[in-house]
Amino acid sequence: MSEWQIEAVESDLDTFHLGPVDLSLRSGGAVAVLGSSGAGKTTFLRTLAGFLPLRRGRVIRDGEDISDFLPEERALGYVPQGLGLFPQRTVFGNVRYPMELRGRLDADARTHALLERFHLTALEHRHPTRLSGGEQQRVAIARALAAEPELIVWDEPWQALDVAARYELGLVLKELRETDRVPIVVVTHDPALAFSLADSFVVFDHGRVRFTGDANELLDRPSDPFVARFVGYENVYDLPSLEAGRDHPFTAWLLERAGPEGVALGNPEAVPTIGVPSTWEGSVRSVRPGPEGVRVEAAVDDLMVALRLPRPWPAKLPLLGDRLRFNVEATALHRLGSGPRTLRQ
Amino acid sequence: MIQTLPAPPQRRPRRWRTGPYWLALQIVLSGSLLLLFLLPIVALFTYAPVSRIVAAAQNVQVREAIWLTLYASGIAVLATALLAIPLGYLLARRRFFGRSVVESLVSLPVVVPHLMVGLGLFFLVIPGSPVYNFTNSIGFPVYDTIWGVVLVMAIVSAPYTVLASQLSFEAVDGRVLEAARSLGAGGGTTFLTVTLPIALRGIVAGLLLTWARAVSEIGGILVLAYAIYPGGPYSGPVTNTISVYIYNLFQQGDLADAAAVSSLFLLIAFALFLAVRIGERTGWLPWRRGDLLP
Repeated sequence: MSEWQIEAVESDLDTFHLGPVDLSLRSGGAVAVLGSSGAGKTTFLRTLAGFLPLRRGRVIRDGEDISDFLPEERALGYVPQGLGLFPQRTVFGNVRYPMELRGRLDADARTHALLERFHLTALEHRHPTRLSGGEQQRVAIARALAAEPELIVWDEPWQALDVAARYELGLVLKELRETDRVPIVVVTHDPALAFSLADSFVVFDHGRVRFTGDANELLDRPSDPFVARFVGYENVYDLPSLEAGRDHPFTAWLLERAGPEGVALGNPEAVPTIGVPSTWEGSVRSVRPGPEGVRVEAAVDDLMVALRLPRPWPAKLPLLGDRLRFNVEATALHRLGSGPRTLRQ
Repeated sequence: MIQTLPAPPQRRPRRWRTGPYWLALQIVLSGSLLLLFLLPIVALFTYAPVSRIVAAAQNVQVREAIWLTLYASGIAVLATALLAIPLGYLLARRRFFGRSVVESLVSLPVVVPHLMVGLGLFFLVIPGSPVYNFTNSIGFPVYDTIWGVVLVMAIVSAPYTVLASQLSFEAVDGRVLEAARSLGAGGGTTFLTVTLPIALRGIVAGLLLTWARAVSEIGGILVLAYAIYPGGPYSGPVTNTISVYIYNLFQQGDLADAAAVSSLFLLIAFALFLAVRIGERTGWLPWRRGDLLP
């Protein structure tokens, strides 16, 4: 199985500029490309698959520069958004297609084997429109594997799937990494799903790479407020807003600990009023119980801080305007803009 | 103690899922149009007794004319398929300078009176003109031959196939095509194995319209190929297309025969279209099934 190097790749789609993007992929690795809508994720995948010309940079597969290869020459299994199944072919015909192109004599046998592996044998005579979302995903992955790709590139795999199908797809992708050792690039705007599969992460914003690194780095040292909010931090304060409120003690305290781009704060735990020493105090603005405990939003000076009340919570939930006390542990504070492996242009 | 509740009374679902006035409006409006289609046909048949229609069917001249019309329109449809589908593909997939001009040019034969198309062709192939000499030298004489009929038919009816294939190609999801490319299919293979099969239904619908329009053509043919002499793929006696043949009968005041021949051709055309529709519905004609091509 192959190693891929993506070196300073840039491309343009109409007025949209992508890159430069650097990325390396090894056998069995999985990269999640993250970013909000319009960040350039799909543009990046289509560039990688050869549908958009490279403006600068190189794509290297096992030491060979394939930057000018046509899409059909790249040995890259591109699964577009919506999967791109052939509506006029049955499940069997879809999976068989890549082998027909290669004139393989064992096409039928291999198709049957793939259908068996992805539990599609009973559905082989159906057309894609008559399948559920999860079944369609399995056809797409079986068809991609039939082409024996050196890399699988999948745009929004989890789109429009229910919870059970998401879980199942996660298993399929995991198995793909472990048994087939095919490197995978998935695009998603959902960090939670990305964390469940990938071992490294690229965050895009407006066509630029805001972060590359593994999950620990992503959560420990988010590069900037955008990435911090994106990966799920609720308390993210950029430098200008901290400086504006530096007369207040809590804001000043955060400012002392902030990086060049600000600070992210994991939700602190609210402490009982009596018995435990506490440093900070805020006034309750909203209360929302959930499976992880109660999420409370409190105004501290002029900052809003999301706090949590672990379960079991007190019989009497805090009311709006109540005073709530909390401590901030050093490990919950993350300086922004100081991560060692961040790429900033 | 468990009490069994009496079963709720059975609901009688409303028969119509729309309001009565809305439904009545739909029936009245579409019914009026169908009536407009039907009444002239009824009128034709009242003027043409069955014996006359049978006689027309046995008449050699009528048979020649009908045969020539179907034959020429068949060639016109094949030529259209060969030339119009690529143009539709081009218009659907490529952005180029002057695209709107090309699109307008394509619709032009539909817009102008077909007599004008015939006139234009007439001046193009007028004896002594370079085109006249050229077409004669390569064995495609146009004036008063079956080639002239085919030419007029193709020009006035090809726009339907161009437009239908353009719309059908535009409707093919580009991501499906990208998936095919990525799986290893080159541009041409993707067209033949993915694009064309998906678009085929719409294209065939366009070809059927083209065929129907070709069969019914008269204006251009009156000018360019009023009488068809043997030559090219046609080796029968001198004849006319069925439209010109009926027009002649009418001009000569032979109203009963005009009605009889019209009725005969109407029955043939109706039977052909009905057969195609039934064939599509039952899946016997394969282009609706979707697995016609690989």
